[in-house]
Amino acid sequence: MPRMPKRVKFRKEFRRVRDRKATKGNFVAYGDFGLQSMERTWLTARQIEAGRIAAQHFLRREGKLYIRVFPDKPVSKKPLETRMGKGKADVEYWAARVKPGTMLYEISGVPEDIAQRAMVRVAMKMPVKCRFVGRRVSA
Amino acid sequence: MDMTKTHEIKAKKRDRLGSRYARRVREQGGLPAILYGHGEKPEPLTLDSKEALGHILAGEKVFRVQIDGGAGEQTVLLKDIQFDYLGTNIVHVDFARVDLNEMVEVQLPIHLRGDAKGLETAGATLLHPTSSVSVRCRVTDIMDHVDVDITDLDVGEALHASDLKLPAGVDLESDPDEVIALIQVMAEEEAEGEAVAVEGEGAEPEVISERKEESEEGEKE
Repeated sequence: MPRMPKRVKFRKEFRRVRDRKATKGNFVAYGDFGLQSMERTWLTARQIEAGRIAAQHFLRREGKLYIRVFPDKPVSKKPLETRMGKGKADVEYWAARVKPGTMLYEISGVPEDIAQRAMVRVAMKMPVKCRFVGRRVSA
Repeated sequence: MDMTKTHEIKAKKRDRLGSRYARRVREQGGLPAILYGHGEKPEPLTLDSKEALGHILAGEKVFRVQIDGGAGEQTVLLKDIQFDYLGTNIVHVDFARVDLNEMVEVQLPIHLRGDAKGLETAGATLLHPTSSVSVRCRVTDIMDHVDVDITDLDVGEALHASDLKLPAGVDLESDPDEVIALIQVMAEEEAEGEAVAVEGEGAEPEVISERKEESEEGEKE
């Protein structure tokens, strides 16, 4: 099921300026390996769900998948052949703001080759260029 | 840690500070760093990127820094590493001045050893929510990593930080109840997820501000 917030303060939201690069949520924090976005996008709830299903079908109850992005941004869209004006349109879908560097999914409990093959399948469902990464060195 | 294996890093003082000059340092093959601690003035440094990164990426934590034109050699502890936005390149490092007999707090990576017997169960997965522990020890006692034997770990069992066998002189600083490793049989999530998707289509979240307005109107009436 595509995810969305349970409660929101306002039904609709401005589009907002798309920010530059990820300064948080940009490293493998929970799992052993991750899928990192190299571009910026609004990742829709359906795309996030498609990625989850692709990974879990491949992993077949092995390992644990962590989804690091949440679609908390309502995106509205006017119906086709509608004149401009008459107020802001209804919410069409929910999206997560993804910046270059954002970690999208993480996997733990499986060997690297299995994790990589699972992430390749997830990356096929993503609208952005992604890369497979491991944990980084810490001080 | 064998202190005879501690490597020497050559450093130069860095006079011009700020992101612009730091970027120029990196372009010329340097690595911006800062040295602080022991109540002395912080000293911005430039390291040789190739030399320093070779040691840092190998997991070393204690170095001898020889500052060009500075007062002798200083023993330093790697305190922090800054990465670029993709986490690929190291862009800055922090060093703290230390004495060899000083007690310091460091993060040590955990290496899980052996094949857990619980993993033979179908669908069982080894989870390790944390990959490092915080310990307090002398600089000379800093280990490269902590080995944990998980051979006897069965399904539903967990290893906690308090179960770690640390050598004498090394004290645990992390929460003793922190889970290091755990074997869980994963629930089948996807079937449930797909079933709910049909019901959930077109659902809308609760709007907090709208509910307030309604209640205010109700009060006026």
